[in-house]
Amino acid sequence: MELPYQQYFDSMPCYLTVQSPELKVIVANQKFINEFGDYTDRYCYQVYKHRADKCDFCSVAKTFEDGIPRTSEEQVKNLKGKNISVLINTTPIRNENGDIVAVMEMSTDVTDIKDLQKKCKENEEKYKMLFEEGPCFISIQDKDFNIINANKLHRETFGSYLGCKCYKVYKHRNEECYPCTVRRTFEDGQIHAHEEFVTTQDGRTINCMVHTAPIRDIHGNITQVIEMSVDITELRELQDQLTSIGLLISSISHGIKGLLNGLNGGIYLVNKGIELDNKERLLKGWQMVLRNVDRIKSMVMDILYYAKDREPFWEQISVIEIANEAYEVVKEKALELGFELSLDFDEKVNDFDCDRKAIRALLVNLLENSIDACRVDKSKENHFVTFHILENGKDINFIISDNGIGMDRETREKAFSLFFSSKGGEGTGLGLFIANKIITAHGGKIEIESELKVGSTFKVSIPKRSIALSSRDFKIS
Amino acid sequence: MIKKKILIIDDEPDTLTYFSAILEDNGFQTITAESGDEGIKILSKDKPDLITLDITMPEMSGVKYYRAIHENEEWKNIPIIIITGISDDFRTFISTRKKVPPPAGYLSKPVEEHELVEMVKNLLK
Repeated sequence: MELPYQQYFDSMPCYLTVQSPELKVIVANQKFINEFGDYTDRYCYQVYKHRADKCDFCSVAKTFEDGIPRTSEEQVKNLKGKNISVLINTTPIRNENGDIVAVMEMSTDVTDIKDLQKKCKENEEKYKMLFEEGPCFISIQDKDFNIINANKLHRETFGSYLGCKCYKVYKHRNEECYPCTVRRTFEDGQIHAHEEFVTTQDGRTINCMVHTAPIRDIHGNITQVIEMSVDITELRELQDQLTSIGLLISSISHGIKGLLNGLNGGIYLVNKGIELDNKERLLKGWQMVLRNVDRIKSMVMDILYYAKDREPFWEQISVIEIANEAYEVVKEKALELGFELSLDFDEKVNDFDCDRKAIRALLVNLLENSIDACRVDKSKENHFVTFHILENGKDINFIISDNGIGMDRETREKAFSLFFSSKGGEGTGLGLFIANKIITAHGGKIEIESELKVGSTFKVSIPKRSIALSSRDFKIS
Repeated sequence: MIKKKILIIDDEPDTLTYFSAILEDNGFQTITAESGDEGIKILSKDKPDLITLDITMPEMSGVKYYRAIHENEEWKNIPIIIITGISDDFRTFISTRKKVPPPAGYLSKPVEEHELVEMVKNLLK
């Protein structure tokens, strides 16, 4: 090679080789020699890749064939055995006749770039994973409230989001929500938080805490907003439970002190009866003692029941039998108070799966409630409580009606939730709450209809065959 | 000597029996009322020398009646002992008091014989 060309050749910041049609290295620049060693009489694949034979895809060979310059990426090994990523460009070298006599191979070391690319990809994967796998609902909205990206949990819970408006996906609405935290963030570029109720694709309602934050482009303009929502349904339920426990404790204290006072009264009379040898007093006092001890017992049993979450003890019980048992327990009380208590049932009803004690307690509780509602109602002369039982498809319906004092809307809505007793000191306040628990444990439901000063109807449906049992059977077989 | 008359207002029948037994055994006459309304009716006909009033009756009615009694010219000088279930009741009672003087005394359930008798005797001296 002529001198100036030799200089240029050697000073190029890349590896240069010229190869013969047999792929032997004829000439190589200094950089190449430094990195890959002596090339004399060696094949390019030997020097570059420490291979004994030609590479499967050889750009040099291809260029010899068709004379077209090529670019490719390869991994090569240097003298020290280190892997280098290179970008290879091949160019045909022709003689005066135009025949290809050699091919020049120029390789640029792109190892660093490759490393950066790899790191970049790793980071991308990492962030993607955080987005995808995050244990909250994440979505990204554009200025028109279209969801342009959503993470796995979001997709699984709310369904497909592509090209949908966020208010449609989250809340099944046709227009923007008010207030809209996404809009606020677009407007002021601040993070906003709000508690919301959203609906899943299978119709469940979830209580969420929603946070929105702005996403800016390189110019600092807010182009998108990221919305992150955490499911706080369980948390709120636990809070409700704690509140209930707090209320339970205060209403127990209240109720129990009244009962203890009554007990004191009974004891006082008994003592006086003995002291003064007055049998009448003694008997009266003893009645008071018995009565109040009984009420304390009920309250304690209710509390213990409430404290323990128990699995039903399933048995196949005759509906009529258990209805009769409950009837027997309360009929005396109704008789004493002068109320009519009637029981009638569909002849067809047979048996059903239930926890005998629990269902009996449930029915007794509802019947007693109705009797008490009649007792405190002074607006009517005659009071009655009816107890109907009928078969309704897969369920048994127990319908207990009375023409007692009834409930206004507020009372009706609170009936199951708190330690709420509107019976003027008689009830423990736990009855309906526990009744609801029993019904839920049996897979059933309860409806209340009531009107103040008119009366109430409680309708309980219990499935004939327990779903819990049948799914257990399925597992065994 | 004319026996002093005590009006007992409480929605729990057993409490009425208990308090009247104690007070009658200790030389007092008693009249009982199962509700604030009944108590007011009795007050109109038969003025007692002392009233015991349960403020744990539902819907804060105890407090309502306390105020009603104090705002009536005829009855405002009758000493009233209020009966509470929990100490919170009393605090609530005090906080809702507006320009109404505090009760002559208060007792919290469960009440012991000697507590009631001593307080009544002191107030009727």
